[in-house]
Formats: sequence, C-alpha cells, structure tokens
Amino acid sequence: MPTNAYGNIPVSSRINRLGAFYPLLTARWLGLGRVWARFRTSGTTPVLLPRDRAGHGPAVGREAVGATIKTMPFSLARVLAGLLALAPVFALPLAKPAEAKDELVIGMTQFPATFHPSIDSMLAKTYVLSMARRPLTMHDARWELGCMICVSLPTIENGGAVPETIPDGKKGVAVTFTFRPGLKWGDGTPLTSRDVAFTLEVGRHPQTGVSNQEFYRSLYKVDAKSDDTFTLHFDKLTFDYNAVNDMGLLPVHLEEKPFRADPAAYKNRTLYDTDTANPGLYYGPYRIAEVTAGSHVVLVPNDTWPGAKPRFKRVVVRVIENTAALEANLLSGAIDMIAGELGLTVDQAVAFAKRHGERFNVIFKPSLVYEHLEPNLENPILRDKRVRQALLHALDRETIVQQLFAGHQPVAHTGVNPLDWIHNPEVRKYPYDPKRAAALLDEAGWSVMRGGFRHNAKGERLSFELATTAGNRTREAVQQVLQSQWRAVGADARIKNQPARVFFGETVRKRTFPGFAMFAWYSAPENVPRTILHSSHIPTEANNFAGQNYTGYANPEMDRLIDAIEVELNREKRRALWKRFQDIYAEDLPSLPLFFRADAFVLPKWLAGVEPTGHQGVSTLWIENWRVQK
Amino acid sequence: MTRFLATRALQSALVLAVMSFAVYGLMGLMPGDPIDLMIAADPKLTPEDANRLRALHGLNRPILARYADWLWLALQGDFGYSRLMSRPVPDAIGPALLNTLKLMGAAFALALLIGLPAGMLAGARPRSRLDYAVNALAFAGISIPSFWLGILLIIVFAVLLGVLPAGGVAIGGGGWTETLRHLALPVATLAVAGIAGQARYMRAAMAETLRQDYIRTARAKGAGETRVVLGHALRNALIPVATVIALDFGALFSGALVTETIFAYPGMGRLIYDAVMGNDFNLALVALLFATLITLVANLLADVTYVALDPRVSFEERDA
Amino acid sequence: MSATASLSSTRPRPFAALWLPVARRFVRHRAAVWSLGALGVLALLALAAPLVAAAFGVDPAAADLAGRFRPPSLAHPLGTDELGRDVLVRLLFGARVSLAVGFAAAIATALLGTAIGLVAGYFGGWLDAVLMRVTDGVIALPLLPLLIVLAAVDPAKLGLPSAWAEAETASLYRVVIIVAALGWTTVARLVRATALALRERPFVLAARAQGATPWRIMRVHVLPNLASPIVVATTLSAGHVILLESVLSFLGLGIQPPTPSWGNLLANAQELVWSAPLLAVYPGLLIFVTVVAFNFVGDGLQDALDPRAIRD
Repeated sequence: MPTNAYGNIPVSSRINRLGAFYPLLTARWLGLGRVWARFRTSGTTPVLLPRDRAGHGPAVGREAVGATIKTMPFSLARVLAGLLALAPVFALPLAKPAEAKDELVIGMTQFPATFHPSIDSMLAKTYVLSMARRPLTMHDARWELGCMICVSLPTIENGGAVPETIPDGKKGVAVTFTFRPGLKWGDGTPLTSRDVAFTLEVGRHPQTGVSNQEFYRSLYKVDAKSDDTFTLHFDKLTFDYNAVNDMGLLPVHLEEKPFRADPAAYKNRTLYDTDTANPGLYYGPYRIAEVTAGSHVVLVPNDTWPGAKPRFKRVVVRVIENTAALEANLLSGAIDMIAGELGLTVDQAVAFAKRHGERFNVIFKPSLVYEHLEPNLENPILRDKRVRQALLHALDRETIVQQLFAGHQPVAHTGVNPLDWIHNPEVRKYPYDPKRAAALLDEAGWSVMRGGFRHNAKGERLSFELATTAGNRTREAVQQVLQSQWRAVGADARIKNQPARVFFGETVRKRTFPGFAMFAWYSAPENVPRTILHSSHIPTEANNFAGQNYTGYANPEMDRLIDAIEVELNREKRRALWKRFQDIYAEDLPSLPLFFRADAFVLPKWLAGVEPTGHQGVSTLWIENWRVQK
Repeated sequence: MTRFLATRALQSALVLAVMSFAVYGLMGLMPGDPIDLMIAADPKLTPEDANRLRALHGLNRPILARYADWLWLALQGDFGYSRLMSRPVPDAIGPALLNTLKLMGAAFALALLIGLPAGMLAGARPRSRLDYAVNALAFAGISIPSFWLGILLIIVFAVLLGVLPAGGVAIGGGGWTETLRHLALPVATLAVAGIAGQARYMRAAMAETLRQDYIRTARAKGAGETRVVLGHALRNALIPVATVIALDFGALFSGALVTETIFAYPGMGRLIYDAVMGNDFNLALVALLFATLITLVANLLADVTYVALDPRVSFEERDA
Repeated sequence: MSATASLSSTRPRPFAALWLPVARRFVRHRAAVWSLGALGVLALLALAAPLVAAAFGVDPAAADLAGRFRPPSLAHPLGTDELGRDVLVRLLFGARVSLAVGFAAAIATALLGTAIGLVAGYFGGWLDAVLMRVTDGVIALPLLPLLIVLAAVDPAKLGLPSAWAEAETASLYRVVIIVAALGWTTVARLVRATALALRERPFVLAARAQGATPWRIMRVHVLPNLASPIVVATTLSAGHVILLESVLSFLGLGIQPPTPSWGNLLANAQELVWSAPLLAVYPGLLIFVTVVAFNFVGDGLQDALDPRAIRD
C-alpha cells in the first residue's frame, strides 16, 4: 500500500471513521479487546492506521498510541472538527448584535433581602427599586438638589417652604410639594396625597419595622391640599429642609389592607414581599415582573409612566456574589454590564480595563465613601495630637492610591468630599514627609530609638494595633503598606483583623479596639456628621452603646459648629461654618483621612447615558436616559 | 423490624432536638446582629432606631427564651418568617430545595451511571491497564478542589469557547434545553468527585468480592467471565456499595455550597450559608434541621438496604 | 515458658520481623512510594521555608507596592503576588500551615476517635450503646453547614480570653478543633469493630484472667493491634482535612490572612484569576498533588498492612 509522509496508510480515498478512531484505540490499549474485535470483524476498518514499528500492517496497543501521537497535529484538528460538528446543542448563538438590543442584563453582587421601600436599608434593594419608583427629590450627578416627581423644588425664597412655630415652641417648617402630572401606579391608580398620608402613618407606627424612623418622627403632620398637592410639617428647621430623598411612598389602595389588619405583622404581610410582581406597587419607568429569590429580578416597562420612555423592553438584574464568576459572566455575554455600586473592586476593574478595554467602557466614579483610620482616643499614645499628625505625615497616600488603585480613589484631607460644594481646598494638608513626622514624634517624646522602633522616656514602645475587616483583600493590602510605611519612622503597627460581623458588631460599636480601626463611612451630600463627631454621641455602657462617635472625640467648639451648621439656612454663612469645621478637622485629626473609594462601572461599548453620581443616588434613578449607541 | 424502626425513629427525634438546641445556641454565639450591619450601611440610622429595631425583631431577649418560643411554634407547624428572604420559611426553602434536587440529582445519577460500571470493570481486572487508569482518574477526581475545577470549567467552556452559560438559572421560559445548559457546568463539577468516589468504592468492593472462594468455585465450574462478574460478584459487591450510595443520597439535600457560590446557583447550600452568616435564626435552623433529617433517613435507608440485600445479616445483629 | 505465656503478646516481637513484610508489600506499590517521596520533599521544603526565605533575602510579609505581579525572574522564581510578595516563599510558608493543620487535625481526629471507639468496643454494654447512638447522631449531621456554624462562632462570647482569640494561631487551632469534633466518627467505628473482635481473643482473655486492669489491657494488648487501621484512616483523613481547610478558607472562615495557607492563597487568587491566573494554579496544584499523594500512600498502607496478612 502506498504511504504518506508520516508512514501512514493514506486517507484520501476512504471513509474516515474519525469520531470512532481514538476511543477505539484507547479501548484496545486498555484491554477491552472484545470491543475492538467486534468492530474489526464488522468490516468497517478505520483507515487512518499508523504502521507498527516493523513497518507492517496496522500497529496495535502501545505502539498504536505512540504512532498515533506522532500524527496528532494532522488528525487532531479533524477530530475536533468532527466533534464540533456533532454537537448542535451547543451551537446556540450567545452574542446578540447591538442594534437588536431589547434586553439589558445587569450583574451585581448582592440580592435584596426585601423589596419594601422603607424596611431594611440595603444598597441592592435601592438599586433595583430605583428603576421602578422615584423619591420626591434627589441630588443629581452635579450634586445639586432637584425634583424627581415634584413640579418644582419648594424653598423659603419662592414661598414653597414656610418656617413656623410648632405647638411646643420650637422652630419647624412647612414644605409644600406638588406631584408632576400623570403619575400613576402600575395598575392605573393615580398617585395622590392619600398615599403620602398613608406612608407617614406607616412610618410613624412603632411596630412596622421602618428603618429611618428619625425622619418620620421629625415629619409630624401631612396636610393634603388637593389630590396632587400636600404640605409636609417638620418639627425642626435645618438647612436641608426640602431634601425629601428617603420617603418611600406606599400605595394606600394596596397596602392599607395588610397594614390595618395587624400593624405589628405588616412587615411579614406587605405585598412588596408576598406579591412583588404586582404592577400597582410601582410608578416608575419600570415595574418588577418576576423575582427568583437569590438569583435574578426581571423588570419590564411601566405603561403608566408619564416621563421619557425607557429604551429597553426588559431589564434583568442577575445576582452573582463571586466577583470572579461575575467577570466570567460578563466576558461570556451572559450579562451586559456590571453595576458600579455593587460590583467589582477597583483593582479588579483596573485589571479588567487593561485586558478588555476595546469591548467595554470602564468608568471610575469617586464616591462619598470615606475610607479612614479611627483612633481610639482613650489610648494615651494616640490621644496626643502631634502623634496623630506625625503618623499621617509618615504615610505616602498618593503612592498607595497610584499603585493600588491606578489613581482612581482620590486622597482625602478631611471627611468632606471634593465634589461637595462646601469643600474647602485650602485646608491644611499632610503630604508625605517622613522628616516632619520624625520631628513631631521627637517633640511628642518618642525620641529614643531602640531596635528600629521609637520609645519614650519611660521605655514604652510606640506600638499600637491596626484593625480592619478580615477577608477584604483591598483593606488588607492597604494595611500591609501602612504597617511598612510606619515602620520606616519607627512606629510599630500590629495588624489584628476580625470578620466584619465581629468588627462592626462588637469591637467598633463598643469601642474595644485599642488602636486604630480602619473602615469607611457612607454619607450623603452636605451630610453633617453629628453622630460621628458630636460629644453627645459617644457610645458607652450607660447609653446602651448608642451613637457612632467611636473615637470618643469631644471638642466643645466642634459641638457648637455642628449645632450651628444644621440650622443655618443662609448658604454663604453656612459655607463659612463648614470652612471652620474643616480647618478644625484637619488640625485636630479626630480621624486620619485616607481616601475616598471609587465605584467601577463596567459598561458595554454600545450602552450610553449611564451617569454615576458618586453619592447615594444610584445610577438607575435615571435609567430612562440609558440608550443604545452604534 | 418494627422494633428496629421504632428505636431508630426515637433516636432520630432525639438527635434533631439536640441539634436544634445546639445550632440555636451556636448562632447566638455569633458576633453582632443584622441591625449592626444595617448601621454600618446607613448613616442616617440613629441609635434610637437601632435599639427599637432590635426590640422589634426580638433580638434583645435571652437566647433560651428565644429558643423556647421557636420550639413551641415549630412543634405547632409554624416555622416562622425568614428575615433574610422576607417570606415564610417554608416558602424560602421550597425553591432552593427544588434547585438543589435538580443539581445534586443529576450529579448523583451521573456518578452512579458512570462510576459504578467503571469501578466494576476496573475491579474485575485487577492490575490491568484499565484498573490503573480508573484508579488514577478516581484519585484525581476526589483530590481536586471543587472551586478550582469550577473556575477552570467556567474559563474553558463559558469564556474561551462560549458554548455554555457561566452559571445562574434560566430566566423565564426556555424550557428544558435552557435548564440543561445552565446545569451542565455545575453538574460536571460535582459529578467529577461523585464519579470518582463511586468508582473507587465499587472497584474496592468488586476486587474484594472476586477474591472470595465462591468465585473461584464458579470459575472452576466453567462459568464464563461475564457470568462470574455480572451474575455472582456484582450482587455481592453491591452490598457495601449500596450502603455508601444510601449515605451519599443524604447529601442530596444539603447542597454543594462551594459549587453553588461559583456558579451563582440558588440552592440549599447557599441558603444555609447566607442564613447562618446573616444571623437569620429561623431560616438557618429549619434548613439545617431539614438537612439533618434527610441524612438520618438516608442512614436508616442504608442500614435497611444492608439487611435487605445480605441475607446473612439481620436487624438484631446489626448493632453488633 | 508455659503455653499461656507464649500466647501473651507482652513479649516483644522483633521489630524487623513485624515490619519488614509490611515494608516489602508497600514498596510493591510504585504509586504509593512515589507519593511518599513527594510528601517527604514537600514536608522538607515546608520545614526549610524560613531558610529559603533568608536565602532569597525575602521577607514573606513585606509589601512592595512597586513590584506587584512581577513575572518569574531569578530573584522571584515564581513571580510576585498582588502586594509584591514573593510567590514561592509564600507557597512554602503556606505549606507549613496547611501540612501542619492537616497532620494535626488528622491526629486529633484519630486520638478522639480511638478513645471513644476503644471505650465503646471494649466495655460494651450500655456505654457502648450510648456512645454508638452519639456517633450515629454526629454522623447524621451535615458536615459543611455545621463547620460553617462552628467556624463563625465568636470565641470572645464563649468566654475565652481575648488574648487567645486574637493570637495569630487562633484560626489554626479553631480549624483543627472543629474538624476533629466532626470527623472522629469513622475512626471510632473502625476501632470499635476491631476492639469488639479482639475482646474475645485468647490473649485478651488470658490477660484478664491474670488480673490485668482494663486500662492495661487496652493499652498493651488491644491498642497495638489497632495500629494498622488507625494509621490508614489517619493518612486518608489528612488529605480530606487539607481539602476541608481550603474550602473553609475560600469561605473566609479558615486560616485568616495575612497567615498564608494554600487554602487562603487559592481563595485570594481566585478573585484575580483573570489578571494573574498562575497565582491560582500553584496553590491549587499543590493541594491536588498533596491530597492525591496522601490518598495513594493510604491505599498502599492499607494493602501493606492488610490484617489478613499479619496472622499469628
């Protein structure tokens, strides 16, 4: 028989049992001889048989495998081709052309525990619900307060808000809102002041489980002027009197029944959880159509929405808790985008952008999340202001941000975010200056160097603990860097991490951390940090650990400033007060500022209109502006 | 037989009771409560709100009192409300259980369909190449970390080749093909360990059985290899393997946490984990007790199977 | 010497006579021998980890932000990780932790199981019944969910002093304790069955007749005969424990960073699997090789120590 270059019997003229060849040889080799023999005697001899070592007839057994391997490149491709051709079930197309995009699949890392607007504050819930409902007012991407479903923003200047004296003599304010025309719940019922009154009733009831009852305590009365105009009466006059961002309106025509039946059991009976797909619960551009617990939520357009019509006929929110799997789903096309608010970490997104920048847009938006170090001011070492200032000078925060976050998370100088209008860029800063740090530490009495670490005259070492949440890779990385940078100036930071539950639930809350606690505060535009910095909010055994002033900071001037800022209505006067606030903060350093975290939005090239805000206003609040671009 | 079943039923009830108390107590030893996590996420939550919410959810009462309440209600059939999933506990467990049954059932079936024959063939030919191959593959299968394998499969099939979804469940319609496609990779991940395990047990049992004297007799009498293996050895080898299968059956209902996390599959494993981590006492307790109950039933099945298959053993001797 | 004395197993038998046939049978299993070799090499490397670190001039805990994700080079044979730490050195230190936890947990499990099984099997009666019911109860519990519950417990609430709870090695002890607490049942059942069988053997009866206390009988007569099944079970469970530790670390409940262990190196790396896939391959491969090796060695030991071959 003629042979080809490999010494094989040629293939061209015969039927090639490609699919059967390799398994058969393997079977023969493994000793399942009968299988081989049956195949051979039926006369359908495979053609592509390598020769054995002597050059005769077909090789068998070990020789066959060896010879086969030698010819692998030639036939393996054919085998693969054969296998692929035999697998029609896998041939379903996954990538959809951009023009036909009717469905948007969003990936995020957490599933909402409940869908009720006011019970349980969860970012995942806010993200999903913001497609289906809107608050009265909200700060936009430029951090300016505006109306979402009201006609115009009521202010004292335009008469929409009227200061008044309330029955017990304090100063309050009456704010009047008018709904924009055409707002209807998904089942056609119009949105009216009765819904507002009902929402207030539910919010003020002590047993309904509503989260931010402080808001509802302060809002003590609602007057319905007409179906679409109502007045809210607050019992205090603060500068944010017209920012009603958190009032989750409830449909009285649906929710009244479960509420009246038993208010204490309302949170178990609310239709938001028992009948989540009920159209009458939503009045936004979308409504929730289907929920699979733990997996996904499907939203479809709401026909009753009077505003701009949304582009996508279906929005699916898929929840994938594991970020590596989230990326895999994105790359395979199972999801189209990753929500920035609850998605990849910044360094994962940076790596992603490097590899897939042509297929996806990665937007980094610095947010209000303020990552910082809180010292326990009971610790005598950290109580000394000079030590705190020195330790901050010893940190090269710019390099950390550049190396770990590719510069996307801006260095913080106080707790006030640069995007906030009250931000004062002239505040005292602490650039990386180890010499200055050393001088300050010497001045504070830590001048004796022994074994690489500073000691004071009493022989005590400059040593303290650095605690944060375990399992958070980014924080642990930052910790390692802080530790080595402090070691360079002679300070010994001992790393002690705990799981988030322990850390927040016990250690921080009860102020049992002996040194620094590293974590983040979420806040809001122009948020007055009363509970964090006011001396009346220090958690102690006596007040059952209420309050969030975990450092134990007590500065009478700061207390006075906080009280004054809250009630100062004049913007310019307030700006001056905030300037003094930031100056004191930068001088006293009740916390050591690190940086503001950023959210990473991973969007496909064909999606436009997504505007991250950087504050608590999630990007889905403007989902009707998202569109497909070529 | 009835006496045996009665004593086992009593024991099972005792185990469940002890387990419920132990788990309730252990969860009470967990740090923090969900209200504290809420505080960290919402700056506007005042301390008064926090204390009020704690009182509302009953989190400030001593653990024994809470357990007693729970027990009393549970015995009446009211398993309470799941805080984490905002629905009654049975409604929360139902869909997850169904998903887990699909996933683990498919993996279990594959393990039996592929592992048993492979083990049988390998055991029938000790020290042959088939035996070495099956043995090596089985060792590999039980030694591979499942999340490593899962991610590997995702990379190859979902990202590089793009033929199978990287996880999750089918949305809306789609029917059988969609469900099967979404199940393919997680089932493959689980089946590897399952097949390997069953193959090893079967191989060992088969090899052991074939060493017996009665097999030698059968061969001496002239029976062909097929008849010896399939007719005599298989039946006897299946006895210990059947008990193992029955025990594995118990795992069908506790789900596979790691695989479900990687593939974002909403099953019982993730449910239990989320409930425990989220301090959702009601859900965690009921889910764990359910898993325990099934394992107890599986153990009972294993014992009954053993007695049923092996005429030399009876219930009275079982305890010895 | 009377006939009774010759039946007693208190006369020491020559070491070689006992163990040489075992060794010979073991050596016949090539896979087991290779595996034992591999484990030995790994153990040596793990013990020598600080020396290797010193030789390279590398501090395994030092972060070097400028040198993240470096490719392999002479200074860093396997490259650097996300914080600039040398991967090889971290793998070796991880080996110390993982292997230590594996051995410790396996031995703890064996000790606990042997104690319970021995007591149950030897004394019999109601003690046996109670212990067996307890064993059945523990076997009935679902393993991973309970491990999670146990691992999530806050040691401070248990009343343990916080110095203990926050020590770097606390998480190691915790893993060993909870794995042993749930894994002792296999060994217990094994030991009990053997003890029951041995209880009726002539040499035990003779020792009882001579007035030996139960403890002495258990220690001197019964325990040595249990050695083989216990050794095999321990070896096999060591591999299982290493896998369990990696799963617990994946869930964040095992060994806590910055202490490296293969499990948490793997868990760390799977977040980065797209940018630095090799960081995930190395620890996974090491876990795989180690577990396979333990399984092969256990298998080989099982064949070599086959009780039917050690007959009087």
